[in-house]
Amino acid sequence: MKAPYSLLATLLLLLCSCGSVMRAIGRNFALPEEPSKLAHRVHDARRPDARLSVLWIGHATALIQMDDAFVLTDPVFTRSLGELSPRLVEPGMAPADLPPLAAVVISHMHLDHLSFDSLAMIEHKTSVVLVPPGVRASMPRYAFSSHELGRWQSYDAGGVRVTAVPVRHLGGRWGVDMAWRPRAFTGYVLEHHGLSVYFAGDTAFDADAFAAVRAHFPALDLAVLPICPMQPRVHMRRVHMDPAEALEAFLLLGARQMVPVHFDTFINSDDEPGACPRVLRQVMAERAIGAERVAILGIGEQRVLVPR
Amino acid sequence: MTTVRPIACGTKRPSRPATRGVPTRENLLKRTGRRVAAVALAAAVVTSTGHARAQERKSAPLPVLSPAAAAAFWVAAQLVPSPLLVAGSAGLGAGMRWQLTPLVYSFGVEARPLRAFVIEPVARHSGAIELFVSPEWACCAAHERSSWLARAGARIYVPLLLSGESLSGSLGGSYYLADHEHGGSVELGLYTLSSIVGLTVTVSPTLEGREVTTALALHYY
Repeated sequence: MKAPYSLLATLLLLLCSCGSVMRAIGRNFALPEEPSKLAHRVHDARRPDARLSVLWIGHATALIQMDDAFVLTDPVFTRSLGELSPRLVEPGMAPADLPPLAAVVISHMHLDHLSFDSLAMIEHKTSVVLVPPGVRASMPRYAFSSHELGRWQSYDAGGVRVTAVPVRHLGGRWGVDMAWRPRAFTGYVLEHHGLSVYFAGDTAFDADAFAAVRAHFPALDLAVLPICPMQPRVHMRRVHMDPAEALEAFLLLGARQMVPVHFDTFINSDDEPGACPRVLRQVMAERAIGAERVAILGIGEQRVLVPR
Repeated sequence: MTTVRPIACGTKRPSRPATRGVPTRENLLKRTGRRVAAVALAAAVVTSTGHARAQERKSAPLPVLSPAAAAAFWVAAQLVPSPLLVAGSAGLGAGMRWQLTPLVYSFGVEARPLRAFVIEPVARHSGAIELFVSPEWACCAAHERSSWLARAGARIYVPLLLSGESLSGSLGGSYYLADHEHGGSVELGLYTLSSIVGLTVTVSPTLEGREVTTALALHYY
């Protein structure tokens, strides 16, 4: 067989094998489908009537307005997580509509919290991205500057003081690297103009960590806490809080209000869509905690928590 | 003798005996006693549930992967071969290829651009130049020569879509050493899934019988 024919034959076989490979990937990882559309998306997040507001963009991505400053948490705008887990609902705000950000905070390196492509989409919206220790070397280079914050270290980003606080989770991104990055995860407290917001990222229940945060920040206005995934609990409880634990964490933190996140955006557990907020509502009823303290937002919903 | 009847859901609770509501001294004492007991019980329940909740909410141990286990896993991952489809003057066939990466200069990462052997996916797909060594077994070697060959070369990775995590490409060249043969090759690659999975086509014009090699490239670290 002459070389040109060999090349042609190879390419033909390649195309055929592509189909089977893609089918295999599809069976195992559920190829991304079109995420469902939101009826209304916020295009201008600035709320003149708010001192503190939260727009839940989806999963752990929340746009927090503290007076004149905006901070974005764990931005993920992609249609899937690393081409593996499809997005169920479109992001509550398009990256292009984001206001200028004082800072972006990244809690850890897992695909649903550190999205390289999403950072590329918003790289001109912020000048500062804060990450846990050991993460910078594992990030692509962008137009913004990135800074690693160790536990209890603070950084002043455009008037917003960001402090890294302890949580209980796992570092790493691609599996084996969790052994090489034992401390590459963190929570944050954001402070601006007397307002303070706690963002957990991902965490298992850790009473000591929450008590320590409360000791440092005794008057938190808001706790943004993950409530999912729940199942399989035997595995998840080691690294994730369920709704009951999240509510307990909220009480331990002593925050005035809570916004639950990290649910119903991607498929990353055995939980049915809607299960986590449903359980949260049950636990809230059992513990007599009302909606005035725990604001369960829909994706794309913005809520003023402290009015002017 | 008192008969206890189950109360079904939705059924009305049976009314109490009329004497229970009569305010006699004995009844008042009993009622006060019951109230004191109820308050004590409630306090005990509140205290104990608080304690139980604290116990129940105790942190579960984190899953741990020791550095030694991670190193063993890395070694095992390097032993997984990339399957090959070989096409040449002798027909079509199959093969396997392994890769070691002694050095990568990653111009696309934020920090620590130089890495050796243990290569994170991002160090490739965000843009990099890597040196590689590849032992390869491929069928159809001409004239009963060995099917083993070794390649050493360099390739450049570039992100094709945003950060390159979803799609990156490579262009490279290598020098192969086979049984009584040696020569040059050029290759082209496309990668997805953080550059862990890709397809590369290597053309070796002088490698008789194995001129075109297509690989399902698997590079986990």
